Amino acid sequence: MRLFNYRLLLLIFFATFFAHEALSQTQVIKGWVTSSKDNQPLFGASIQVLESKTGAQTDENGAFTISVKEGNHLKISNIGFGDKIILVSKGQTLLQIAVDPVLGNLDTVVVVGYAVQKKVNLTGSVSTISAKALDNRTVTNVSSALAGLSAGVRINQSSGQPGNDAASIQIRGVGTLSSSSVLILVDGIQETSLDAVNPQDIESISILKDASAAIYGSLAANGVILVTTKKGSKNKTTVSFNSMFSTTSPINVPHFITNYADFMRLMNEGYTNVNQSPIFSTLTINAWDSTSKIPNQLNPIGVPNYVAYPNTDWSKTMFQHKLLSSNNISLSGGNDMTRYLMSVNYLQNPGVMDNTGDNRYQIRLNIESKINKVITVGTQTFASTEYIGLGDVGTAFNYLFQTTPGVYPYYNGKYGFPSAPEESSTANNILFYLHSYAGKNQTSRFNTTVYANLNIFKGLVFESKANYQTWFNEQASHSTPAARYNFNTMTIGLALPSLSTAAVTQSMSKDYAIVIDNVLRYNTIISKHHDIGLLAGYNERYYNYYTFSASKVGMTDFSLADFNTVTTPQTTSGYQTDFSNRSWFGRINYAFKNKYLLEGNLRYDGVSRFGPSSRWGLFPSLSAGWKISDEQFMKQFDGWLSSLKIRASYGVLGNNASGNYDWQSVYGASNYSFNNVQVPGLAQTSLANPNLKWETTYVTNFGLDGTLFKNKVSFVIDAYNRYTDGILTTVPIPLTVGTASAPVINAAAVQTRGLELSLGYHGHLNGIQFNLNGNVAYNTNVVKTYKGPLIEGYTTDANGNKVYQSNLGQVSSGSTTRILEGHKIGEDYVLDVYKGDATYKNADGSVRINGGPKDGMIRTPNDLAWAQAMLAAGYKLLPGGTVTKSTIWYGDIVYADKNGDGSYGNSYDSHFTGKSNLPKYIYGFTADITWKGFDLYMIWSGAAGMEYYWDATGYNDNNVRNGFALSKLSVDNRYYYNDLNPSDPKNNINGSKLRLRSSDPQDHAASTFYLYDGSYIKLKNLQIGYNLPAKLIQKALITKARVFASGENLLTITKFPGLDPEMGPNVNYPTMRQLSVGLNVTF
Amino acid sequence: MKNIIAIIAVIFLLEGCKKDLLDTAPTNALSSTTMWTTDNLTDLGVNGVYAALRLGQNTGGPSYLEPYQYDRLGMTGTNRSADNFMMGTITPSDGFFSSNWQNFYEGIQRANTAIKNIATISPSIATKKLRLIAECKFLRAYFYTKLNQGWRGVPVYLEPFGIADATKPRATEDSVWKVIINDLTDCINEPNLPIKYAKGDANYGRITKGAAYALRGKAYLYQQNWALAAADFAQVQMAGFSLFSDYHLLFKEANEQSPEMIFSIQNISVLGLGSTIDFFCGTRSSFGSCWNSFYVSPVVVDLYENSDGSKFNWENIIPGYTSMSPLARQVYFLRDGLTASEINAAVSRGADMTKYLPVGNEARIKQVYANRDPRLALNVITPYSNYNGVVGAANVTSTYRFPYRTSALPTADLQTDATTFYFYLYRKFVDENSNESLGRNYGPVDFPLIRYADVLLMWAEAINEQAFSQSAIGLVNQVRARVGMPALQSSDPTKPTYVSSQADLRERIRNERRVEFVNEGINYYDEIRWKTWKDKVFFPGSGSSQIWGQNAYTYNWTGDFMYLWAIPQVEIARNPNLVQNPGWSN
Repeated sequence: MRLFNYRLLLLIFFATFFAHEALSQTQVIKGWVTSSKDNQPLFGASIQVLESKTGAQTDENGAFTISVKEGNHLKISNIGFGDKIILVSKGQTLLQIAVDPVLGNLDTVVVVGYAVQKKVNLTGSVSTISAKALDNRTVTNVSSALAGLSAGVRINQSSGQPGNDAASIQIRGVGTLSSSSVLILVDGIQETSLDAVNPQDIESISILKDASAAIYGSLAANGVILVTTKKGSKNKTTVSFNSMFSTTSPINVPHFITNYADFMRLMNEGYTNVNQSPIFSTLTINAWDSTSKIPNQLNPIGVPNYVAYPNTDWSKTMFQHKLLSSNNISLSGGNDMTRYLMSVNYLQNPGVMDNTGDNRYQIRLNIESKINKVITVGTQTFASTEYIGLGDVGTAFNYLFQTTPGVYPYYNGKYGFPSAPEESSTANNILFYLHSYAGKNQTSRFNTTVYANLNIFKGLVFESKANYQTWFNEQASHSTPAARYNFNTMTIGLALPSLSTAAVTQSMSKDYAIVIDNVLRYNTIISKHHDIGLLAGYNERYYNYYTFSASKVGMTDFSLADFNTVTTPQTTSGYQTDFSNRSWFGRINYAFKNKYLLEGNLRYDGVSRFGPSSRWGLFPSLSAGWKISDEQFMKQFDGWLSSLKIRASYGVLGNNASGNYDWQSVYGASNYSFNNVQVPGLAQTSLANPNLKWETTYVTNFGLDGTLFKNKVSFVIDAYNRYTDGILTTVPIPLTVGTASAPVINAAAVQTRGLELSLGYHGHLNGIQFNLNGNVAYNTNVVKTYKGPLIEGYTTDANGNKVYQSNLGQVSSGSTTRILEGHKIGEDYVLDVYKGDATYKNADGSVRINGGPKDGMIRTPNDLAWAQAMLAAGYKLLPGGTVTKSTIWYGDIVYADKNGDGSYGNSYDSHFTGKSNLPKYIYGFTADITWKGFDLYMIWSGAAGMEYYWDATGYNDNNVRNGFALSKLSVDNRYYYNDLNPSDPKNNINGSKLRLRSSDPQDHAASTFYLYDGSYIKLKNLQIGYNLPAKLIQKALITKARVFASGENLLTITKFPGLDPEMGPNVNYPTMRQLSVGLNVTF
Repeated sequence: MKNIIAIIAVIFLLEGCKKDLLDTAPTNALSSTTMWTTDNLTDLGVNGVYAALRLGQNTGGPSYLEPYQYDRLGMTGTNRSADNFMMGTITPSDGFFSSNWQNFYEGIQRANTAIKNIATISPSIATKKLRLIAECKFLRAYFYTKLNQGWRGVPVYLEPFGIADATKPRATEDSVWKVIINDLTDCINEPNLPIKYAKGDANYGRITKGAAYALRGKAYLYQQNWALAAADFAQVQMAGFSLFSDYHLLFKEANEQSPEMIFSIQNISVLGLGSTIDFFCGTRSSFGSCWNSFYVSPVVVDLYENSDGSKFNWENIIPGYTSMSPLARQVYFLRDGLTASEINAAVSRGADMTKYLPVGNEARIKQVYANRDPRLALNVITPYSNYNGVVGAANVTSTYRFPYRTSALPTADLQTDATTFYFYLYRKFVDENSNESLGRNYGPVDFPLIRYADVLLMWAEAINEQAFSQSAIGLVNQVRARVGMPALQSSDPTKPTYVSSQADLRERIRNERRVEFVNEGINYYDEIRWKTWKDKVFFPGSGSSQIWGQNAYTYNWTGDFMYLWAIPQVEIARNPNLVQNPGWSN
């Protein structure tokens, strides 16, 4: 800190000294130029006064001094960075200038596997994301912050639950039936979660999408994400402080019917629609109708009507606005020998639901020290611990639709119970589930790497790393039960459970990994033009997971939760699992005249998950690039084509995503008892496959990188073909074999193909700087081999009858989404809804099979008569079977007879729709605009071309069930027809939703009726910032201060009616919309 | 430079120290190569065959696969949820067929593996090996019995088999019975298999010769080989099995090893090793919160005779009852002193409130259940009867009233999981008060698969089917005498206990089985064996019925093919040699 103070004092001295000069025309400015990417000082940047043509250069600390006149413009330029022009204002003496790196520029360096490489020399498909994209985001983890930033990288956040809100990452779609999870390396070391890293510590992220990942061989089939954390810089001590506060709210909530009288009428409608007795009496409905007009009046026993006669909006009760805060301090600096970075982050994320928050602490220490000319040693060490609320989110969502507005959540310290006499006593109090446990849920991580780099002689470097990382979760929870009250009568509806059944559970899970990583690297240039790089390495990793949990019942008091105070042991369980791998690898890089580029990789991998005979695999790759714009014959295009590179790569990658012991057949516990004594038993629980081996992926990639119009426009185009063979999967086995799980086998092949385009524009206009980037990726997959082709059709059986046969069960697995050769992964397999022309009869008066209702929904008496005539003529309408109020009636759909067997809607009528829940297109767009001190930044991200099958009681279907919720999606514009009174004002025969019904044999066969387009685009982030003028802040010893307002998940544009298209057809913990204000200060 | 070399050397040394890095093995399971190679592993393997009796048990929700849950398909019980089978909408793709098929064959696969490996690999002493093989043969016969009862002819595998071998066609029903009889005959001929285990024997729960006789007798019964069946049942008696004196206490934990129990699934109070009956037959007033997923059918309730042996008739208690509409009848079941809102609700449900007695309504309906076969009150929670349950922390005696008001004292209405409905509830096997079980889904009481009363009545049937005889009547009377019901006789036609003919006795035996075995999963198989299922269960207007006869859903007979189960659709697709039972279409 002494150094830092000394320099500041000097600054103040300069500032006061030059203050006198401000009166005159000429002023001397002292300034520093840094990279906006990492705040590192830039050496050798040129400073030019546009008006006077005088100039200066920055020293190794990025500092410069220059004389200018007020109103002059300074132009700052540096290779690899965009030019910046600054107007000198009156009296200005100090200038902190951050310049932005430019894509495609000559010296930009990219982290690739075990090395860094000049971006221009890359031969593979590598995307990079700079720290800028993560700065000032209030997102609670790194993974979800990456959405929209990189072509072909799908970031999908399916839950907003604090501590469990990591986004899934898919690179170039799904190319396998086994795990498609990407390999994540933090500072070269494999990490299980990207979110172990504090976003503010990240300097850059590289994403290896093709055979460029081949140096990681068998780990890399699904792509690789390389995270590099910040290092301290020499001779410059920086303290930066980031503080953010944001409001949190759910981006969407389920929309239930909340007026209980309406709800009861709708319930009754659903019951009477199918000829059942209505549930609710008019007396009860009237009671709610009348009391809802006078909500604050007290009922006879002194309870206000709004409590005694509830109209609960469970969405409002469960999902709330809260306040999130994040504070981060980083300290970095160093001298010639040692550089360091230290950071502390504290995140307080309350989520949007009670008792589900996450308080997280993260620390990091990066130190690198040069011991002598040869040896440099260092460490990257980081740790975190987080405490997550014990609200029972799983149960709350399980029951969210299993309640009604007729339950008041909480009043005067008491939890509510259904009030109406006819209401199901099992209508839940969902709020209670968030309060039903107390205790602790703590998750911690610790990750440390110690490394040594040896510069053995010029160009030859040996790097050795050892890493230990561990994750552990400790939980101690006990139930905190409560009675439920019927607030209408103030009587107990559900009594407080007995202490003797109250349970206390403690559990501990832990994993750890040990990694050893050695690399020998040699770079040399032979006779000027031959640039050669060689690399050889060794890696091994051992991973172990174990867990233990125990529970006891019989608390002595609800406040006493220590095990010793609980009486009866109930369960204890635990197990461990492990796996390991070992690899040798090598690489050759060769560049001729820096124009013709060649790279070869080879990796030899062994893994414990396969048997000794098939454990080892060899994974080669080759790539080449040609900087065609450097050729003489291309000079003619220089006017507009600034650079162009053609590249191609081919590689073989592996995937070992089977269970840890799948090659071995195992007997597992299958216990029994004799004479009331438990006896252990064993039974074969899984079938073995001793020949299990690597899943192999062959990747071909062609790419084009270029810049246009003096690097103002940049583009990257990639086309790829990925073929994965020997996919590790289980295929259906005969039921007759028993219940042991099917063996994992190398069974299937999947091909994925795609196109990716990234486009950037960098420019300035009237002092406004633009940095616009867009990307779009197209990806499609097809299962090439599985269990043989589908054969279905009519055959003649032994008795001479024509029967329809299908081998679907033999060659395909799944139910409404299936795997079948020649089709997409998880393709929807459903019935079509019938479509007719509403002519009903043939000329001869017979029923016309194509003459039914136009949209397959029985809406009019003619439609119904047609259905009856169909049955009379011997056709089957399935699964309902008959035309009655309780089976098929007005407001129901009928299905198409796809196979023409006269049965409309039997299982053979299901067909492959060509749709799946994986998007065809993903896209993103970022804009980064600065003007004077102001900056504007936004990220859009989206996906298109996927369909979701969604049919969920309480959310979107037409089932009504006593004690269950009704959704506006089901109720608004539903079909209704009172056939006894065709002029009933309630009739809505054009309704788009099916009639409500309390039992349903017809409408819920899996059909296209419940397939939804899931395409969306989201405004993921929008921020507006302002850098306080240097003049203002320098007196407070501050070099940079930025205030900003930012919003996350501000807007979703989609046709999907569910909660969140990113979440798919599920109702889960909603992702958060955040509105935040923040402050970054750098000293 | 020396330093550098030293450092590199140290690093490589560190790495070299774990040569077997890649050789990992699970620590929670056993590799198949070591199985059966010790005496202990032999025991564990056989225990695993027994554990197959529990397959299909689900402690999180009803699986519809556990033995007692089959009452819902028979005359004695019904399913709270709309049941595909009973509504006639079930198809060969239904999980009911595939799960049963898979579970029973898993039992066979385990038994096959044990029988083979005990003989060839196990180092246990010879006599023990012979006993264990006999036990496994019994279990294999039991699983084939379950398969043959449903499908009537299934593929037979008597050796362990792999995925590629599962291609056999169906054997005929008769040849499957022969396989079963062969295995059971081996058990009976095995000198090392005991006849019976005494109460408290450490081996209690294992297979005995008594069980083998009983199961073989049953197989003969299916073959209508009446003489051999009767002979086997007589052997069960010879083995020392007998009726337990108290029908109520018979189903309590203390008597789960009484001489009446021949073969039962062993239950203990450990999750996954106990009974789920409390959970799925108990109510919210049972300790914890139970789901009453299954109900007793009114048909069987009406079948319980009056205590003098005469048939029960509603008209004798409530004249005009049978001619009223089911909805109107519910008035008789309403509690005394209804509130205005309850009356309004009852009217809107269709009750004929002109018959309502604000005082005395409860007393009137209780007459229906008074003076009946004592088994009615012991098997069924009837209207306005009491149940000793647990509410919150306390043991509370609740009363089954309608409509439900509160489970709290002092009134303590019995609270079902569906209080807007009024069904007959199971009392048999549902634990009472907090001391009888630790948890709702792991009750301690063994579940009988064969008990002596079953044998007596099958024996009576086997004799009666040969000729009408006094000895058959005597066997039925043993079962009746235990609960104090008057003996059947063929001498005094004026008495309601008079049995006139073989056909008359046949119906009497069947009715005796219907009322005796409520909630034991026996009735459904009986009705399909007797081919009475259509008449007794799918009569016009039948359904999942509330007490007064109103159906929650209606049963639908789609054809006689329903007597045979459908071969699972997926299995036909995977093994084209399987031929579907006629009538089933997907």
